Amino acid sequence: MIIDIALLILAGGLPYYIILEKSTRLNSKYIFLLSAFLLLCAVVLSLSIPNEHPASLIVVSLLSAMFSIYKATKTTNFYKLGYYLIFVNAPFFILFKNRGVLYSLSLLVSLTGLYLIAKFYEKNYGSANYSNITGITLVTPCLGTYLTFYLIALALYPPFPNSLFFLSYIFKSDPNLLSYIVVITLFFGNFFLAMRVMRKTLFGRPNSNIHYIHMTSKEKSIHLSILILLLILSIFGLKETLL
Amino acid sequence: MTIIEQLNSVKDTVPHYWPIGSFIHHNPLKGFEGLHFKDGLIKAQSIFGGKVYMDSSYYMDLYQQGKIHDSVFESNLTKVLIEKGFDIPLDFAKKFLMEVSPKWSSLRIKLLSEKENIDHQLYLYLEEKSIYHNEKAWLNKLIKHMTLYEINDALFGGDDKEGVQKNIIEFISRFLDEDQTTMRMPNRELGMFEAFKLFENFTYDKNVESFVEESLEKLHVKDTESYFLTHLLKLHGWAGFIKYRSEDPDYISQRQHPSRLIEYMAIRLYYELQAMKNNKLSNFDLFEEYSNNNLQDSILKLLKHKNMLFGQTLDSIEANEKTIKILSEYVTNELNLDTLQIQHSNQVLQSNLPLTQLATILQNLRKEEGYIWLKSLEDSYIHSYLDKIIKIQAKEGEKVIASATFCLDVRSEVIRRSIENSGPYETYGAGGFLGIPIAFVEFDKAHELFLSPAIVKPQNVIFELPNESHEEYSSKIGMNKTIKKVLSDLKNNPYTPYIMVEAIGWIFGINLFGKTFLPQKTNKLLSKLKAKKPKTNYTLDKLSVEEIEFYVKKLHTKIIHSVLADSSSHDYTKDEIDVIRNHLIFNDDLKIDIPDEIIEKLKTAHQITAEDYEYQKKKLTMVGFTLEEKVSYLYKYLTMIGQINEFPEFVTIIGHGSVSDNNPFESALDCGACGGNISLPNTRVLCMIANTKNVRVKIAEKGINIPESTKFMPALHITTTDEITFYDTDILTDDEIQKFSKVTDDFNKASKLSRVERSKSLPYTHTEKDIIIKSMDWSEIRPEWGLARNMGVFAGPRTYTKHLKLDNRFFMHSYDWKIDNDDAEILTRIFDGPLIVGEWINLEHYFSTVDNHVYGAGSKVYHNVVSKIGVFNGNYSDLKIGLPIQSVYLEGKAYHEPIRLLSFVEAPLEKVGKAVENSIAKPFILNEWIRPVIIDREAKKVYSYENGEFIVIREIK
Repeated sequence: MIIDIALLILAGGLPYYIILEKSTRLNSKYIFLLSAFLLLCAVVLSLSIPNEHPASLIVVSLLSAMFSIYKATKTTNFYKLGYYLIFVNAPFFILFKNRGVLYSLSLLVSLTGLYLIAKFYEKNYGSANYSNITGITLVTPCLGTYLTFYLIALALYPPFPNSLFFLSYIFKSDPNLLSYIVVITLFFGNFFLAMRVMRKTLFGRPNSNIHYIHMTSKEKSIHLSILILLLILSIFGLKETLL
Repeated sequence: MTIIEQLNSVKDTVPHYWPIGSFIHHNPLKGFEGLHFKDGLIKAQSIFGGKVYMDSSYYMDLYQQGKIHDSVFESNLTKVLIEKGFDIPLDFAKKFLMEVSPKWSSLRIKLLSEKENIDHQLYLYLEEKSIYHNEKAWLNKLIKHMTLYEINDALFGGDDKEGVQKNIIEFISRFLDEDQTTMRMPNRELGMFEAFKLFENFTYDKNVESFVEESLEKLHVKDTESYFLTHLLKLHGWAGFIKYRSEDPDYISQRQHPSRLIEYMAIRLYYELQAMKNNKLSNFDLFEEYSNNNLQDSILKLLKHKNMLFGQTLDSIEANEKTIKILSEYVTNELNLDTLQIQHSNQVLQSNLPLTQLATILQNLRKEEGYIWLKSLEDSYIHSYLDKIIKIQAKEGEKVIASATFCLDVRSEVIRRSIENSGPYETYGAGGFLGIPIAFVEFDKAHELFLSPAIVKPQNVIFELPNESHEEYSSKIGMNKTIKKVLSDLKNNPYTPYIMVEAIGWIFGINLFGKTFLPQKTNKLLSKLKAKKPKTNYTLDKLSVEEIEFYVKKLHTKIIHSVLADSSSHDYTKDEIDVIRNHLIFNDDLKIDIPDEIIEKLKTAHQITAEDYEYQKKKLTMVGFTLEEKVSYLYKYLTMIGQINEFPEFVTIIGHGSVSDNNPFESALDCGACGGNISLPNTRVLCMIANTKNVRVKIAEKGINIPESTKFMPALHITTTDEITFYDTDILTDDEIQKFSKVTDDFNKASKLSRVERSKSLPYTHTEKDIIIKSMDWSEIRPEWGLARNMGVFAGPRTYTKHLKLDNRFFMHSYDWKIDNDDAEILTRIFDGPLIVGEWINLEHYFSTVDNHVYGAGSKVYHNVVSKIGVFNGNYSDLKIGLPIQSVYLEGKAYHEPIRLLSFVEAPLEKVGKAVENSIAKPFILNEWIRPVIIDREAKKVYSYENGEFIVIREIK
């Protein structure tokens, strides 16, 4: 029971909605980092103490995830979107049992990419808010390509590991009504959140009020290494799905 | 003013849009040509937004490459400093334009994170000059060119714009459809507004004008003209097309399904009112009241809607901070950035001027810089080319075997040079329609093509008739049409595609893989399946009155017979059909019993009416030419290019067209002077006329003696592959054929040379084989560079440009002022046709390059053909005007160099002055939408037209 509560606190959105959201000291960037760290702690914890989770825990985390989906639709800031996505996916982590570790790892890697994109926006456009940075596919195609990869991974599209671990779970679990609800809700939740970002910042007409900045070679290579990491995880995911 | 007059007063802001099947290059700012180029651009920018010059960093690159000469730049900058009364040293202004201005926008972004000290005095000065302190004016500026539904969307976060635009596009694309769909909209013959009422199922008894007036009243619109303009700008591609159709009475679809701009306006307003029904602010009075009560909130929301806020402000809005605080921070931030930009500039410029004065100077300089750079680039090119052109002296011509006249199109420059280098040949350039505007009805086609510049209405109709048996052709065509129709029906039916893919999908695989991996072989295979057109002839002679009457009657009888056969089981006799026809046309008594619906159908759907009878007769009187017309056209053509004596044995006249695959913009690569069509028919007509005996006799009376041995031979130049194919060679005798084979061999060699030269400039092309493959590769986005990089026109004798490598960048029209009369009639004709076409092509490229999002068609990647009239993005959007980005950009950089047409004319200044005065091109010449350069070898001077006068820019030694 204590472990369950600990996991909910670590991986779910509970601490954020109770404490962090109300705090004026922490900005969205630090909440993102903190949430990612808490999720990592949850991963480590669940690895060291394997256990079965009660349905009530899954229901609570699902409700928290649904609230996070709602909150995520209200923001156009990458940092906020990042930690909302962590909370949205918390029920998976709890529902997946052991496989949830790899899924969460894939999620964290994709979110690292998103975090770096957010940092790039913050550095060059003054904020990680993407609402006014439209049409980047046309103007800064390299940045657009990497962001597309991360969003596709988060939207649970193959061949990225998130989708493969997710698929592997569906194949290998004993389905029940609750898992159906969780899977369907969160699959579409992730998908629509990612697509919403794509529509707003990747596509459309470039904003003539903005001077668009291109990625430096260093930034490109960092993103390339994240992409390679995602693809390596994909190999594991594929193995997991097929075997 | 009536409602129509109010609409007419703003409609010219939107340019014509010609259907993509016969793409017409045009100046998207044609409506502004009444203003000086610079002023027109300022006005257009205030309406359309976007850019009208390239960024200064682009010009800086050209400067560093040496394309913009330093001395020219300094001279132009000095002139502006004096004209505008800027009291600053040249070096200072130059340093600003070269070192500060190219980084101006990036500097603003950079300064976002910098915490420099703000100069308070400068801050206050900028604040005073800004609009921020007058919030009402600021709001009005923000809502300029916004419809009420857009304002509602911005203020309350709705999505009405999407809905309204989608509904409008759905209706008009279906109404204007030209046989793309298999499910046609019914009742289109009633006209756009009547069809719309049925489409939306509402009744309205009064006319469309009243509907528009009432709608505007309901919306409480105060400035009708301005609101019309706002609506026209929303989908200005579609508006431009409807405008074009409504102003061309000969446009077939317009005759069948009439539409007017006022009807389009009514449709827009109908949907706007529908959307407003559920909105809080359903008219402008309510909006005014709301905005007065929530001024700051309205401004902030409009700024957000227009993407004018930086991320930090957006974060504050997300965090639900107070509007007054957010707006105040926004204003402070903007003014801080403005101040820091000036302070930073001052650091670079090391100026001693007070910052407030510096701010004004820099602001004014930034307003002028686009034009300064553009003019400097143009002037640098003018001087570079003048250096080469004026050095060359006219030489006595050598004896030639053949002459070749090409279209003046820029793409003929390399091939002309190659032909001249391949043997004793001379070449000429003329407008592709050769001064013979014709309405051409191709064999096996029912509609006429206007082969002339878009501004010229042909007065002669030419039919193409087969010379030989064509059963095989007809049966192959019939079979191909049937297969195409079956496939199209299967594809467009909602159910059949599922079965079709399973059953015959693999057939398409052959085409798919073949075209992708073996394009040449597949093309060869497919061309075998195509029907081979029989040899044809043209109807060059006029019809007699009896013949005209006979043909009109035959046409009507055939239509009536076919309608009766479809609509009635009764078998009508020939006499009965005559009675019906006479009733419909001459209003004679209908002595036979026939249902009223059939009579109505014949009148409305098939237009068998007295008006149509007169129209058909008028059309048939236009068939062919009188002898005088033939002589006149030939005479005008020969004098226009200066080929009036020493005719070689073969006078070849070569039209042009382009071949490419999977390219909706293919006609943009055809002949612009022939209305975006292949110009072969014009060349054949002219050659047929010139080879006629009585024409030669008559033209000899006018002083042009064409020897009997001279043969005029038409040909077609394919600009993608540079292949030249001759036509009508069967008029040659055996002896002549032998001599002519030498000409064709040499021309083939020239084609090869031209391909090799061009292969060096095309992307991913290394050999001449690559050039050939590009014309049949369905994934090729640039089958040729077409008219990209066009920069000038040269009207004068070929001698002066013969040895210059002009890289397909000049339109070249042959002209000899010595044979022109005192009124400069020939030059006037060149200005009236070819120069206008050249200007349209040039400015279409200019604006598609400077701002492809506003004036161009965007990326080909997203294009879909709509209604067979144009392309739009995805499944609905505005009709895309201008050129695709791939036609003017290469790998993110402008391939086309946007400059105005440098128009070199070899003639005395007086002659040019006369021609300008008499030409319809006068407004755009005098308003400097082109750059006239007059090379007057008699006076030994070169003039340029600037600021309302011809100034000497060079003395010829």
